[in-house]
Amino acid sequence: MTHTLQFADLARGQAFARFPLTVSAQEVQAYLESTGESVEPWREHVPPVFLDAIAIAALLRTVAIPKGVMHTGQEHESHRAARIDEPLEVEMRVSALSERRGAVMAAFEAVLTDAEAAPVQTMKISVMVLPDGVLVDGGAP
Amino acid sequence: MTAAPAVLTVTRLIDQPRVDRYAVAASDPNPIHRETPEAYAGPFGQPVAHGMLVLGLVADALTQGFGLAWAESGSLKVRWRSPALTPATVTARADLKKDQDGLATYEVTCTDQRGEVLLTGTASVRHA
Repeated sequence: MTHTLQFADLARGQAFARFPLTVSAQEVQAYLESTGESVEPWREHVPPVFLDAIAIAALLRTVAIPKGVMHTGQEHESHRAARIDEPLEVEMRVSALSERRGAVMAAFEAVLTDAEAAPVQTMKISVMVLPDGVLVDGGAP
Repeated sequence: MTAAPAVLTVTRLIDQPRVDRYAVAASDPNPIHRETPEAYAGPFGQPVAHGMLVLGLVADALTQGFGLAWAESGSLKVRWRSPALTPATVTARADLKKDQDGLATYEVTCTDQRGEVLLTGTASVRHA
């Protein structure tokens, strides 16, 4: 995978991705089958946490995330439901970046807007990169 | 004004085939989630489930409680406390903490079959 950005080069406030997004019914169905959720409530709309997952995938595609990174937290706010096949736009930026005792904490914000530039969903992905060889209890990869 | 609906507990087996399917569906190729040398050499000594797959149980519980209102007005804020080592039987629960002016706020938790807390946080949904 070729990444556009290196993690060490990120700066707080930096906008690093902007891309159009349309989620198909097939993608929603594959997601729901993988999680084990019922397809029935999502015949016309996209599950909001799937949109979070799509933003995370964009982050992984764009930024070379170091080995051992922990996904420590996730925030999410829906402004309205996104419809299947609806044209959306995603913009992502670095909302926080700090270092403590060799561990780097970063947060990435993603804003999904519709064709009228109205917000559909906002989210924040928090990660921690540990110094080599250090383990902690919290977090999920 | 109606009271906030009860949100049922959701329990699901997260095994390696489910994790593999999720990796494809969510386009998350991190080898630490699959049966790879990287996973066995990694910090947990075995593959671990995606944190977002665990969070999906919380979303499922809220969908069952609120239907589309969850997607229209829901918010959540969670932190992962421990990795879900596969296979894990994960239970998500949402306990109502506040129901005011049509906004229901829940404390959400995911635990595994050993009682290990995997995820904690809050979720809110407007229901009236």
